[in-house]
Amino acid sequence: MKTQTQEDCSEHYNISFNREDLSLFIHLSGQFGLKNLMVFRSDINREISKQKLQSVTIDFSEVCYLDSAAALAFVQIEKEAASQNIQCWLTNLNDESKGIFSVIHADALNQQPFKSLQYQDDFIRQVGQSSLHIARDFVNFVTFIGELLVALLYTIRHPKTLRGKDVLFYIHRAGVEGLPIVALIGALIGLIIAFMSFLQLKQVGANIYVPALVSFAMVRELGPIMTAILVAGRSGSAFAAEIGTMVVNEEVDALHTMGFDPIRFLAVPKVLATIIVVPILTIYADLFGIIGGMVIGVTSLDLTIKTYITQSIKTIQVFDIVTSLIKAAVFAALIASIGCQRGFQVRSGAQDVGKFTTSAVVAAIFMIVVADSIFAVMLYYIKQ
Amino acid sequence: MNIEEKTPIIVVKDLAARFGENVVFEGVSFQVYKGEVLVIVGASGCGKSTLLKIIIGLQKPYAGQVLYQGMDITCAEEKELNQYRQNIGVLFQSSALFSSMTIKENIELPLQEYTDLDPAAINTIIKMKLGMVNLAGYENYHPSELSGGMKKRAGIARAMALDPRVLFFDELSAGLDPVTAAELDDLIIKTEEALGTTMVVVTHELESIYKIAHRVLMLDKEAKGIIAEGKPLELKERATDPRVKSFFLRQKPVTPDEQRFYVN
Repeated sequence: MKTQTQEDCSEHYNISFNREDLSLFIHLSGQFGLKNLMVFRSDINREISKQKLQSVTIDFSEVCYLDSAAALAFVQIEKEAASQNIQCWLTNLNDESKGIFSVIHADALNQQPFKSLQYQDDFIRQVGQSSLHIARDFVNFVTFIGELLVALLYTIRHPKTLRGKDVLFYIHRAGVEGLPIVALIGALIGLIIAFMSFLQLKQVGANIYVPALVSFAMVRELGPIMTAILVAGRSGSAFAAEIGTMVVNEEVDALHTMGFDPIRFLAVPKVLATIIVVPILTIYADLFGIIGGMVIGVTSLDLTIKTYITQSIKTIQVFDIVTSLIKAAVFAALIASIGCQRGFQVRSGAQDVGKFTTSAVVAAIFMIVVADSIFAVMLYYIKQ
Repeated sequence: MNIEEKTPIIVVKDLAARFGENVVFEGVSFQVYKGEVLVIVGASGCGKSTLLKIIIGLQKPYAGQVLYQGMDITCAEEKELNQYRQNIGVLFQSSALFSSMTIKENIELPLQEYTDLDPAAINTIIKMKLGMVNLAGYENYHPSELSGGMKKRAGIARAMALDPRVLFFDELSAGLDPVTAAELDDLIIKTEEALGTTMVVVTHELESIYKIAHRVLMLDKEAKGIIAEGKPLELKERATDPRVKSFFLRQKPVTPDEQRFYVN
């Protein structure tokens, strides 16, 4: 038997067919592997099915490389031939090739999967599943809020247990690092409102009301909402991803076993930091919004900076500012607690982290809008 | 493996690695021969994993060469490197199965990407690979539903998807129970015997070293390089170097004058 070493084993392969009566001799040489599997398999199958045969002999004596996929293909060729009542022999296998054929277990190939893939349920089942899911989610959230409140109360009663360093860290993360983007978006929104209202108001010659409109809109609604949405995107998601990854790495379990309450340890500093930081960011957003409006006011409306400022100040009342800050603090609590709760819901794997991070942002933004609507109605009646 | 016919498949020449100013190792040269099981051992922090990462092309060395079939993979173009990567398979310490995919999809991925096989052929190949690692029937499971040992075996099946010439194992049996670890060793031996795949294994399980290794390379943190090379039993019996001796006899290192090293 001729064996070739790897070096003089050519990359190419060759198959020669020899037909004698009802027998087919197939002589292989060269490399047989994943790369040429499709080609040689169809070549051989075509040759076998060309005409009636009684036996097929495949000669491996000059095969210098065979991988398991190619060996599998030959096993299948053999099987197919057998099903057509053709006898098939694989001959002149060297030790290496025999070894490769030995890893192919017929029972493994015929083994049905232990578990079928989950297919989409029918519509009613889906509705039921998602209703249950929403209900479970709600219960989960309420439970978490309860636990969070208990942890917060505990922290208030035992201020020493608060991890001050963590609070400062998250104040830096969510607040200081978020300031540039909040300021930029605030200024641009102020600019846009000023410009749009200028286009409308100039038709009736009411340009002087532009500063009032901008400052009123910014302080009452846009400032808090916009800041909250930005913080939800920046920090709510970060909280969920951070806690989620800790769950996956069993760090949360470690906290449990060391006797720490993970909620007090992980969620409380984040929630407190966010509640401190979001109202401050909101003030900045309001301020930059008014400055953005002023740019339009001064360049396009022929107002002086002084008039613009006095007009703005005249519109804003202390009540508006205070309620806007309260609103911001409520939004902050919602964002941080939803972020943390979603993080704790992660069970395993990278995909879960992604899923719950997305869900943290979506749920936070939804809750912000819901809370804002409640505030709008409530404040209307309070003010009366 | 026939010791007489040694053809090197990977040649490592004067390799050096650093983290910043910190020298991990330097002047490391060795060869991996076709069809052998080479085990790289050494105490934690001696740079075993770094060495492995350099050989599989994940990290660039500070100096030196890694030659695979004449190609230096330390300075290869991305295209050549990809070619090389199709010829190797790697089992990572934590298996690194993609958690969002089923076992079948994990193994399917390289086959779909790098071959022109039809889905039916891919399917039978996956069944064969799962049979090779004793996981027949588990194709639709997600990695999170498998035990540690099964994950490793699924990882091996994925590493072998493209019938690589060289297989690398990082910390083969770390974190597994002795029975599962022994099963993995058997799987390695069986696969090596059947397919003749060259294997490079990083481990410090003595039992599995004695069982699977044809040759052992020992790295040392202080020496910053290879301090021993040979068959595991020969190293155990004949080594004179106290560091090698203590490793293979599983003793605490005792230098002649009872000098001890403290690390703060």
